[in-house]
Amino acid sequence: MKMLNCDVAVIGGGPAGLAAAAKARQLGAENVLILERDIRSGGILRQCVHDGFGLVRFGKRMSGGQYAQHFLDEVNELGIRQLLNTMVLEITKDRVIYACNETDGMLRITCGAIILAMGCRERTRQQVFIMGTRPAGILTAGAVQRYINIEGYLPGKKAVILGSGDIGLIMARRMTLEGMEVEGVYELMPTLGGLRRNKVQCLDEFGIPLHLSTTVTQVYGEQRLEGLTVQQVDENRNPIPGTERYIECDLLVLAVGLIPENELSIAAGIEMDPTTRGPVVDESMMTSIPGIFACGNVAAVFDLVDYVSETGETAARGAVRFLQGEICADEPYVQIEKGENVGVMIPQRFHPSCIGDEGLSVYLRVTKPLEKCVLLAKDGDREVYRKRHDIALPPEMLRADIKKDAAPAALKLEVNG
Amino acid sequence: MIETFKQLLAKNEQLNKYDIGITIDEDRVATLTGEVDTWQQVVDIGHIAGGIKEIYSVVNNITVKGLEIPVPDYTKEIETARKIGVIHETDVLVIGAGVSGCSVARTMSKHSLRVAVVDMHDDVSMGASKANSGAIHPGHMAKAGTLKAKLNVKGNAMFTQLHEELGFDMKRRGGYGIGYDEEDKKVLEYIVKTAKLNGVPGCDFFPVDELLKLEPNIKGRPIIATHNTTMGTVEPYEVVIALANSAALNGVKFILGAQVYGIEILGDRDFTVITRKGLIRTKYIVNAAGVHADDVAEMVDDKFFTIHARRGTIPIFDKRIPYPYSTGIGTVSKTRNVESKGGGCGMTPEGNINSGPSATETPYKDDTATYKSDLDYAMRIAYSVVDYLKPSDVITYFTGVRAADYKEDFIIGMSKKVCGFVNVAAIQSPGFASSPAVAEMVEGIILDDCKAADIPVEDNPNYDPFLKPKANFRRLSHEEQDRLIQENPKYGHVICRCETITEGEILDVIHSPIVPTSVDAIKRRTRAGMGRCQGGFCQQKVVEILARELGKDWVEINLKDEGSNVLAAHNREEATTDEDA
Repeated sequence: MKMLNCDVAVIGGGPAGLAAAAKARQLGAENVLILERDIRSGGILRQCVHDGFGLVRFGKRMSGGQYAQHFLDEVNELGIRQLLNTMVLEITKDRVIYACNETDGMLRITCGAIILAMGCRERTRQQVFIMGTRPAGILTAGAVQRYINIEGYLPGKKAVILGSGDIGLIMARRMTLEGMEVEGVYELMPTLGGLRRNKVQCLDEFGIPLHLSTTVTQVYGEQRLEGLTVQQVDENRNPIPGTERYIECDLLVLAVGLIPENELSIAAGIEMDPTTRGPVVDESMMTSIPGIFACGNVAAVFDLVDYVSETGETAARGAVRFLQGEICADEPYVQIEKGENVGVMIPQRFHPSCIGDEGLSVYLRVTKPLEKCVLLAKDGDREVYRKRHDIALPPEMLRADIKKDAAPAALKLEVNG
Repeated sequence: MIETFKQLLAKNEQLNKYDIGITIDEDRVATLTGEVDTWQQVVDIGHIAGGIKEIYSVVNNITVKGLEIPVPDYTKEIETARKIGVIHETDVLVIGAGVSGCSVARTMSKHSLRVAVVDMHDDVSMGASKANSGAIHPGHMAKAGTLKAKLNVKGNAMFTQLHEELGFDMKRRGGYGIGYDEEDKKVLEYIVKTAKLNGVPGCDFFPVDELLKLEPNIKGRPIIATHNTTMGTVEPYEVVIALANSAALNGVKFILGAQVYGIEILGDRDFTVITRKGLIRTKYIVNAAGVHADDVAEMVDDKFFTIHARRGTIPIFDKRIPYPYSTGIGTVSKTRNVESKGGGCGMTPEGNINSGPSATETPYKDDTATYKSDLDYAMRIAYSVVDYLKPSDVITYFTGVRAADYKEDFIIGMSKKVCGFVNVAAIQSPGFASSPAVAEMVEGIILDDCKAADIPVEDNPNYDPFLKPKANFRRLSHEEQDRLIQENPKYGHVICRCETITEGEILDVIHSPIVPTSVDAIKRRTRAGMGRCQGGFCQQKVVEILARELGKDWVEINLKDEGSNVLAAHNREEATTDEDA
C-alpha cells in the first residue's frame, strides 16, 4: 500500500474543495492535496453551462465552468497536487485517509488536517414516494444535465419536471434550448423552490408553466416512461382526490432536493446535525473531530456557489490554524441559538475567543417567506449584527457577518418579519 | 364435491348472492364459472373450491362485471417466428428463467441430456424471483402434508451446499417468533406444531428470559417465544444469476428475450415451441413460467389449474440504519392478524432492512407497479418491528407478483394428457427456499420418463457444480483491496460510490456466461446503482461501460428489457467524451 503524508487533504475538487485548497496553500500550508473522484476537478460546476455564478464574489455573471476554472487556475498556479480518478473509501478519527485509484492502488494518506468537500447528491424518485412502474426515463436533474451538457445525449423528447428548485428551473431552459419539449414544472410546495431570477430567466421567458401545490403521484410504462399523473395537494401536502391529470411524456426530471453526502463523515463518527444533514461545525467549519473540517454542500446545502467557496476558505483558515496549534480546542463551545423564523443554520456553535479577523459568518434559511424583515444576531440583549431585507424566502440563504470587534459571548439569530 | 362447494358458498353472506357454476371432471378438477362484482370475490370463491379436500385442482373462469382482462393475440408473432424457423434443438426446454427454471436447468445439466432455457425477458430472474424478501424459509409455515411443506424443509437444507458451490451471499441468522398475548400464543403454538409435523429441524419454543438477554432491544415483555435455527436470507436475484451461470457453464443454452407464443405437440415427447426468437424443438418441456404457467399449460390444452396473481411490495431501507436484533425477529402483530396478510421485517445479507411483502390479489399478472396502499402496509410492518425507521430511510421499493393457485400448493408433475410436458407451477413463497428440492423432484420425473421411454441418459462427465468466487471489493481489507488493484487496475476505479462497486467487478460480470446487457442487469449482479442515490451518479458510467464492452451505441443501452433505452437520442455529435477531450 502506498503511503503519503500531507498537511491538508481536501476531499472533493468542487467549488468548496478548490477554494479550500487554494486558501490553505496561500496561508502557508506546504503540502496540500486534493482527492477528486472524477477525471478532473470542478465538481458539478463542470456540467453547469448556464451563467449566474460568481455574482456575489466577482460581481459578474460567469458560467459554472468559468467559475470553477478561476479556482482551478489558482490551484494550478499554487502547484497544488491533485489526485484525480481517486475515490476516498475511509477517513479515520486520527486523520488517516484510505483512497484508491487505478495507478496507485490503495493509498494510505496521513494528514495534518482534513477538509471534507464531497458535496451533495440528489433525492430520488423513491425518496419522494412516486408510485407506479419502474421504467427508463425517470432521472434526477443532475443526471439529465450531465447527459446533455457533458455527454451530448438527450434523455427524452417530452419532459415533465418535478421540483422548482434551481436545478429544475435551469434544466427546463436547457432542455427547451436543446429542442426538447418541457410540458411544465410542478412544485409540491405552495412557493417557488429556487431563486426568483431563475424563474424569470428559465421559465417565464420560455413560456414554461409553473404549477405550485401540485405533484407527480404515479408513473406509467413498463419499459420506457409513457406518462404520469399530476395531482394538486392540500396544505398538508396530501394529494387532493379528483384533481388528477394525466400527462403523456417520456421523461420525468426530478429536482426534488439535495442531500449532503456524508457517508465518510458518518462512518468516521463525526457528529451530525439532523437539520442540515451535514456535520455540526464551528466558526472555522471544524467538525466534532479535531482537525477535520467540512465546507460547502457537504456541510449544508447552499443556494449560491459563492457561499460554498467562502466556507471552503473558512475551513482552510481553520485547518491552517489547527496545523499551527492555534485552535482553541480547550475552550468550551457556545451553541448558536436559532430564534424566530430561523430554519437551517450553519455553523451551529462557536468558540467566543476564536473569531478571527475575518469575523464570523452565519448562514441561515428562513422557515417561511417574509417581507420587510430584519436579520438580527444578538448576544443576550445586545445586537451584534442587523440587516434589513425587503424580502426573505426559504430557498435564498441569508448571511450574517459578525465582526470580531463585536466579540459576542453568546449568539442568537432571528429574522423578525 | 359440488354439494360441499354449494353449501360453503351458501353460508358465505358476501358471496351467496352470486350464481356460480361448478363442474368436476374425472381428475377431480373443478371448473368455476359466473360473474361477480370484484376481483377479490373471484379469488375468494376460488379458494372456497380449493379448500375442499377432495378437489384436486381449480380452474377459475369467473369474471368480474365490467372488468375486461385483455387476452393477447399472438397470431402475427407466431407467423414471424415460423418464418425464422427452427433456431435450436434440445432435449429439455425450460420455460421461465426464474429460480425454479434455473434450478431445474442446472440440476439437469448433471446429465447428458441437452438442456435449454427460454425467458420472455432479456435477463434471468425477472419475475417473482427477483422481487421477494430473499427469505430461505425453514418450512414451519407451510401447511402440514402439502408438497410445499415437504419440498420447503428439504430445499432449505439443500441451500447450504448450494451456497458453498455457487458462492452467493447467504446468512442463516435464524429467527425468533415472539408473542405478547394469548392469541399470539395460539399462533406460535400452531407454528411449532406444524414445524414438528413437517420435520423442520431446530424449530421449538425458546425461553423468553434467555431471548431477552440475547436480544435486549425487544420491546415490552413477550410471554412466549419460538426459535428457528434454519431461517436464512439471500439476495434472491443473485442466487438465480449464479444458478444460471453455473447451468450455462455446464452446457445449458439460455435463449433470452424469447417470449413463448405457442406450443405444437408433434407427438409424445416431441414439441415445437414457438418463441419470439424463432422455433425450438424439444423432447421435454418444463413449464416454470411463474404467473403465466397456466397460460403455458393452456398452449398444450391441459390447463387444469388457474394461477391468481398476488402482488407484494417490499421497501428497502438505507443500510446505514441498523437492524436492532442479531437475528430475524418476527412478531405476531395485531395489525397483521387483522389484515391476515403476513410479511415480516428482516435484514438482507448485505445489511439493508427490508419489510413486507404486502399481499394484494390482482387480475393483472404482469402488474409490478407499486401502489400506495401496498407500500403503506409494508411500511407498517417495518415500523412495528423497528420503531425508529423513518420514511426518509427508504431508498427504494419494488413489487413482485406471486404465482398462487387455489389449492395454495405447488403443482409439480408430468401432465396426465401430454407426455413430456412437466409442470412446475404455482411456485410461490416459500418457493425460493424449496427450489433445490423442486429441481431434484423434476430431475426424478424426467429421468424416470427417459427410462420408461428408453432414452439413454448418462452422467455429464464435465459437470462442475462450483462457480469461481466473485471479487467483492467492498468487503476486503484495505491491504486486500490494494493487492486486487495491483492484479487488475480496474478494481481501483470505483464506479458506484454508494455501494463501492468497481469497474473491475462490472467487467467481471459482463464477461460471465449470462451476459448482462442492461443497466439493471449490471445492478443485480454487482449492486452498482443499488445504493442510496439509486444510480444518480453511476448510471451514466455503467451505460458507458456497457456500450464499450458490448460494442453498442449509448442510445442502444437499455435500463431493463428491449424498449427501455436510457437515452432517447444523440444531441451534439461534436460533443466529445471525457476520454477524448
